[in-house]
Amino acid sequence: MPSCQKEKIVIVGAGPAGVSCAAELAKYGITSTLVDEAPKIGGVIYRGPLRQASKLPHLDENLKRAMAALKVRYEHHKQDITLQLQTKVLGPEGESGLLLQTENQLTQIDYTKLVLATGCHERSVPFEGWQLPGVMLMGGMQLQLKSGLVRPGKKVALVGTGPLLPLVACQLHKSGAQVVGVYEASRFSELAKETVALLNKPKLTLSGLSMLAYLKKHNIPFKYGYGIVKAEGQEKLSSVTVAPYDEHWHADLSKAQHLAVDSLGVGYGFVARTQLAMLLGVSHQYTTTNGYVPLLDDNLRSSLNSIFVCGDTNGLLGAEAAIIEGKMAATMLAYEQACLSESTFHTRMRKLKTKRKQTQKFRAGFDRFSALREGLLALTQADTVVCRCEQVKRQQLDLALQQGAKDLSSVKMRTRIGMGDCQGKMCSSYALDRLHAAGHLGTLGVIRPRFPLDPIPFTLLEKNHEAV
Amino acid sequence: MKQYDVIIAGGGVIGAACAYFLSRDTNLKIALVDLKKPGNASRASAGGLWAIGESVGLGCGVIFFKTLSKLQSEGDTEAAETLRPHQLPECFFELALKSNELYPALHEEMLARHDVDFKFERTGLKFIMYNRDDEIYADSIVSGIPNLSSQIRWLDQQQLREEEPYITPDAIGAIDFICDHQVNPYRLVDAYTEGARQNGVELFLNTEVLDVLREGNKVIGVRTQDQSLHCETLINAAGAWADDIYHQATGKHMPVYPVKGQIVLSERMPKVLNGCISTSDCYIAQKDNGEILIGSSTEEKGFDTTNSLDKITELSQGAMKCLPILKESSIKRCWAGLRPGTPDELPILGPVDGVEGYINACGHFRTGILMSAITGTLITELMTGKPTSVDLAPFRVERFE
Repeated sequence: MPSCQKEKIVIVGAGPAGVSCAAELAKYGITSTLVDEAPKIGGVIYRGPLRQASKLPHLDENLKRAMAALKVRYEHHKQDITLQLQTKVLGPEGESGLLLQTENQLTQIDYTKLVLATGCHERSVPFEGWQLPGVMLMGGMQLQLKSGLVRPGKKVALVGTGPLLPLVACQLHKSGAQVVGVYEASRFSELAKETVALLNKPKLTLSGLSMLAYLKKHNIPFKYGYGIVKAEGQEKLSSVTVAPYDEHWHADLSKAQHLAVDSLGVGYGFVARTQLAMLLGVSHQYTTTNGYVPLLDDNLRSSLNSIFVCGDTNGLLGAEAAIIEGKMAATMLAYEQACLSESTFHTRMRKLKTKRKQTQKFRAGFDRFSALREGLLALTQADTVVCRCEQVKRQQLDLALQQGAKDLSSVKMRTRIGMGDCQGKMCSSYALDRLHAAGHLGTLGVIRPRFPLDPIPFTLLEKNHEAV
Repeated sequence: MKQYDVIIAGGGVIGAACAYFLSRDTNLKIALVDLKKPGNASRASAGGLWAIGESVGLGCGVIFFKTLSKLQSEGDTEAAETLRPHQLPECFFELALKSNELYPALHEEMLARHDVDFKFERTGLKFIMYNRDDEIYADSIVSGIPNLSSQIRWLDQQQLREEEPYITPDAIGAIDFICDHQVNPYRLVDAYTEGARQNGVELFLNTEVLDVLREGNKVIGVRTQDQSLHCETLINAAGAWADDIYHQATGKHMPVYPVKGQIVLSERMPKVLNGCISTSDCYIAQKDNGEILIGSSTEEKGFDTTNSLDKITELSQGAMKCLPILKESSIKRCWAGLRPGTPDELPILGPVDGVEGYINACGHFRTGILMSAITGTLITELMTGKPTSVDLAPFRVERFE
C-alpha cells in the first residue's frame, strides 16, 4: 500500500509520550525516527533495569504492567520506527536539523516535523546540608530502586510533597530499607479539600490510599504538615532535622525532631525539561507550578509550525497523560498529511482530549495541594550553596537582588548562577522563586539555554566531518 | 513626567561606562535605559584589552582580516600573495592605547569605592608563529609600529616553551604585546552599572526604547513601554541596534550593522595559559575561572545569533592545533554575539551636525570592551564642555557623508 506520508518526522525522547507518538504514527503507516539518550526505551519512568535483573519484588504490578505495555506498543510497530538510542541531541543545526552525538561521532538529522517529548527533571530545593552525600532527589532514589541493583540507603527519611512520597516509601520498604518517616509538607486538611478533584482518577486515588495503609501496617510514620529543616553529617549524611510546617511551609523550630539516617529522599516535584524547546526558539510562558513551559495550541503545536511538544515537557501530567498526548500529536500529524479523514480525526481527537481532561483535573488537585510555598525559601543559610556547578552561595544572590537585579539573566551575570554545566537545571527554579518572591514577576526572564545542551569532547571535532 | 539631564540608550559596556564616568565626574541627573537583546555584544565578548593586537589586526581581528582577504582574493587570483597585516589608522591606535592605560587604576578605584571586581589581569597577548610565513607576518606587524617597539617582545622557541609550556612544541616562537591584557567582560559591564547605580544613576532595566521624542531638530527624550522619559541630551549606546535610535533622532541612517561572531568555551581547566594567545586561526584566552575561550567567527548574517557546526569546528581545530591539551577537555558552551560594525572599523563618537541634544557613542565593532573607558571619559568631557582628550573629528558620523 503506498504511504500517504509527506513529512520527515523526528521524535526526541523515547519515553511514554515519544514511544506512543511513534507507534500511533505507525498505525497510519507513517514512519518516524525516535531518538533517545538512554540505551533503552521507556524514559525515566518505564525504562526499567539497564541490565536484566532476575526479580524486582519491590516494584508494584501497575508499574510492571505499564513498562511491559510500552514495550509491546513499540515492538508491534517497530518496522516503521527508526530507533536511535544512546544518542544525545546537542541542539539545532541549520534551519530544520538537529546535531546529534552518539558515542564517538557527531551526526546531523533533518526533519520537516519535530515532536519534542523530552520529559522533566526534578526540582532542586536548597536547604542547609543539601549537598551532603546521602541526600538525594526522590526520583533519583526511585531510579536506583528500579535498577534492581542498588538500595539507596539502610535508614531512610523522605521529605517533600505529592503522590511520589508514599509510593517511594513503599518501594523502599519492600526493598528492605528501614523507612524512619515520611514528611509531607502540606496539611491533611488541604488534601481533603481536593477530594472531588482526586475522584477524577478513582483508581489512582485508591492505590494512593492502599499505599498509605501499607505504611501504617508496617509502622512507618507518614506525617502531614511536616518538612525538612536541615541535613547534617561529617563527609556524609548522618542526621536530619524535621519540623512541623505552617500553611506557608515555615518550620516551627520549637518542635523540631532529629532523626538518625544515612539517606534522605527529597521530592518537591518536577520541572519541565524544556532546554531543547527553548534553544529551538519555541515561545514559553512562566507558570508557578511547572516553571517555564512551551506555549501550545489545543493540538500541542508550539509557536513554531513544525514543532509539537507532548508529555511532561509541556506541563506535568505524568506518564498516563503523556501517552495520550503522544497519540494526540501523532493524530494531528497524520491528519495534516491527509492520512486520515476529517471526521475520524475529530472523533479520535475528542476521545483523547476527554481522557486527558480527567488526568488534568486529578493533577490540578495535587498541584494546588503541593504548590510550593514561600517557607521553603527560608531553609537556606547565608552561606548555603544555591548553585552547585558554580558554587554560588545564597548571600551572593541576596546581594544581586538587593542591588537591583530584577531578572534571571542579570542574576546570572552577577552571580554565575546558571553558568555551569547543568545550564540552570538545578538552580534556576530557586533563583526564579526568589525573584518571584521579590515581586519581579513581570521581568523574570529565563536562563537562555546555550548550544550545546551537553558538552562536546573537542576530539570529536578533530577531523573534518563528512556527515555535516 | 520624569526629566533628566542625560538619558543613555543602551546598557552594554559603552552605555554603562558612560553612566559610570558621567556619574563619577558630574552632578548631572542621569538615566540608563536598557533591554538585553539576544546577541548583545558585551555579554558575548571575550574580554580582551588587546590595544596593540586589535590595532594591527590580531586577536578578534585575525578572522576578520582572513575573511576580508578571502573575499578579495575570490574576485582576484593575484591577491593570494603573502598576507599583509591589517593595520588600523593612527587615530585608532591613540584611542585604543589611551583607553587601555585607564584600566589598572579603574580596577582599583572600582574595587575600593564600589566593591566590584571586573577581574583585570595582566596577561600580554602573544602571536604564535608556526612557520616562516607567520614570521614574515610578525615582522611586518612590528615594522609597521616602530614607535611601540618598547611594548613588543620577541620570544624564540625555547622562551615560548618556558613561558607557555602547554602551547604546541611545533610553534617556532612568538611576539608578545606586553601592554595587552584582559578583563571579565560581563563583570566589567556589571561593575560600571553597579558603580553608576551607587553614584545615583537611575537604571531602567528590561526597558526598551520604543521611540525617540523630538521637537524640531532637538531630541527631548524617549518613550519606553511604561512611560516617557525626558532629557536634555540623549546618548546613543545601542550597539548593533544603534542605527534605529540614530534614525529616529535624526531622520538619517548611519552605517552601523551587526557582525556576528561565534565563540567556543571549554570546560574549566587548571591554569594552562599565562597570557592571551592569538594565532592566524583564532584567539585563545583562559578566563579567571579556568574556562578557555576561543573566538571568533566574522559573519554578516543580520541579527541571526545561532551557532553552526562549521564555524565551531574551524575555531576548535585552530585552538587544538595551538593548545593540544584542549583534546582532554570538552566544549561546554557556544554562543554568538553581534558586534556593532562600521565600514572603516572606527567607532562613531560625538554630536551630530544640525541635531541638538544627541550624542553618538556607538559602532565600537570588535573593541567595545577595550574602548569603553575612553568612550566614557570622552562623553563626560563633551557633556562638561571640556576639551576632549582625543580629537573627535575622525570619529564623527559626518565622515560617512
